Amino acid sequence: MLQLVVGQLLNGVIVGTLYAIIALGVTLTFGITGIVNFALGVFMMLGAYVTWYLTDGIGIAYPLAVPLAVACIALIGLAVDQSLFRFTRNNLINGLIVSIGLISVIVAIVLMIWTTTPQNMHYVLPGVLRLGGVVVPKMKAVVFVVLLLVILFTYGALTRTWAGRAAYAYAQNAEAAALMGIRTGVLQAGVAAYSAALAGLGGALYASLYSITPEIGSSYILKGVEAAILAGIGSVMGSFAGGIIIGVAEGVGSIFLPSAYNDAYGLVFLVLILLLRPAGLFAPR
Amino acid sequence: MKLATAIIESAMVSIVSVAWFATAHAQDVVKIGEIEAQTGPLNTYGWMSSQGMRMAVDEINKAGGFQVGGKTYKLDLINPDTQGNPQQALIQLKKMLEEDKVKYVFGPFLTNIFKGIEGYAKQHNGQFLLMGGATQIHYELGKPGNDYLMRTWNWDAGPSGFGTLMVEDLRKKGVKKVAMLMQNDAFGHVAADIYREAFKNAGIAFEENWFEPGTKDYSAVLAKIGAGKPDYLFPGYTDAVLYDIVQQATQLGLTKFWLVRGSLGPALKNKDYIDDYIAYIPKYFEEAEKSEPKVAKFVAAYKAFYKKDFPYDQAPLCSSSCYDHVYMLVDAMKRAGTVDDVAKVKAALEGFTYDGLWKIRYDNTGEEIFNFDIVDVQKGGKISVTHEQPR
Repeated sequence: MLQLVVGQLLNGVIVGTLYAIIALGVTLTFGITGIVNFALGVFMMLGAYVTWYLTDGIGIAYPLAVPLAVACIALIGLAVDQSLFRFTRNNLINGLIVSIGLISVIVAIVLMIWTTTPQNMHYVLPGVLRLGGVVVPKMKAVVFVVLLLVILFTYGALTRTWAGRAAYAYAQNAEAAALMGIRTGVLQAGVAAYSAALAGLGGALYASLYSITPEIGSSYILKGVEAAILAGIGSVMGSFAGGIIIGVAEGVGSIFLPSAYNDAYGLVFLVLILLLRPAGLFAPR
Repeated sequence: MKLATAIIESAMVSIVSVAWFATAHAQDVVKIGEIEAQTGPLNTYGWMSSQGMRMAVDEINKAGGFQVGGKTYKLDLINPDTQGNPQQALIQLKKMLEEDKVKYVFGPFLTNIFKGIEGYAKQHNGQFLLMGGATQIHYELGKPGNDYLMRTWNWDAGPSGFGTLMVEDLRKKGVKKVAMLMQNDAFGHVAADIYREAFKNAGIAFEENWFEPGTKDYSAVLAKIGAGKPDYLFPGYTDAVLYDIVQQATQLGLTKFWLVRGSLGPALKNKDYIDDYIAYIPKYFEEAEKSEPKVAKFVAAYKAFYKKDFPYDQAPLCSSSCYDHVYMLVDAMKRAGTVDDVAKVKAALEGFTYDGLWKIRYDNTGEEIFNFDIVDVQKGGKISVTHEQPR
């Protein structure tokens, strides 16, 4: 039993980083643009499809296909931000409506191009790692390491670079930041594109682990928002922890409780944490 | 005045002529409908059915149609895509029955679709035939008010059921425990009801595990199943979940699979990681193509018609509401001497064996019985096939 629990702890941490990368996009977008961009889920789905198409359709090697897909999704994110979300800054309801409309449009386009038939990418890195009695698929370990590095890079960039500190300053007081010479339009567009790129990266890595369908984004954006709220919106490392908490709750919960309802276990955790700390686990009291 | 009268008379003659022409042509066409998911996560079954059905209709029409009661008819196929959505299917069926006046509808294969249209379809009992492979149809056959129903797939259970036979084969192999991992939906629970009983009768322990539709990461539940050390895993029922389950199960050391729905695709993709993958496959086309001229002709016709490779993994699903069934329906209409009297056509369908890609007949409840294969894929992709001819 101990082996089973440890195995699911580890699996929950790995799966949780996929939630965390979306949560990070949610928290960054909300902090800088004032909207919760639910379309990040479809950016993730697009990232998965573009990666699959580049590798299995065109024959580009996976390590090259991933950055290409990420760049492609970042451009789409930037275009969508400039053409749509730019007009919804700091208006939660308008942003929500635009993002829901965008989800419908993008999903419809994907349905037209690739239908709803699941697509399976060839195995990128088959085989497993055995840590004692615990088994971890090699590709899952790679996905975890890549996502962890990206999250740490993002944290480092936000805390140790001028642009990062500008973003923090803008999130705290937009007017003061603008008066100090921060080009707010560029900052907002940059964060929107970076959040889309994070979602695209999540999708590109997801495609190496699971089959892909146009609906995958809806489940991941919900988990991402769940993780961001659980952590407390605005906390970068909190998003990481939030994703992992949900991943672990689902994995370990499935051992002791019926596996048919594992999506609910993370939500139970969220409710419990919000009852104790309404602002989220890592937000200041 | 005379000019006006002449114009009105000409118009009247034209309208009557057009109406007569249209009616005459409508009488020469037998409309057949199809309610299947051609796309979507659950399209595995409906897609192949629609492919085969289009081919059969095209071949029959190109051959000049068919004669019933001294009159030549052509077929008109109406087959929209349900995408696996019961609401869509209900709208499509309503249109077929009320606007297009279709009397012969093929499908659905999916139990959730059948449940979605069942109430409405029953209101039209006696006016049309619904010929689908859905497992739930089995339970409705022969009940009062269900004359409209026929089932186009072998039944799992019963003395000659393919499931019973496959469970018996497992017992002979010395299997002691099987773990089921099934989708928590209508068909999943029907499958559990069928196989719980079958495994109990065979003295094999049967453990039930469930997952939510839309699940992609099965690691937790598979790890839990693995801890129980089952001899075989009995997973899901569509390729949409089987690819993920088989891959993740082999990573966790579960390498023996036994399944009654789904293709060989997941086994072949993971051929180096599985030990055994036993599947009910209505026909193993790769082998049948070499030994059965009718199958070879069908494969060639498919390639010519669609101008693409033959879908060997999906083709076995053509055993339900597909190519053969269109020909069989036409044959039944000829035997019944009518294209409109659905009761007579149904009686004719139940009265003969059709010898096509499969040898198909219906029992007295309206359920299909046809020959099938059990395919065993072993490590490295070595395949062995057992041919079965149910009594």
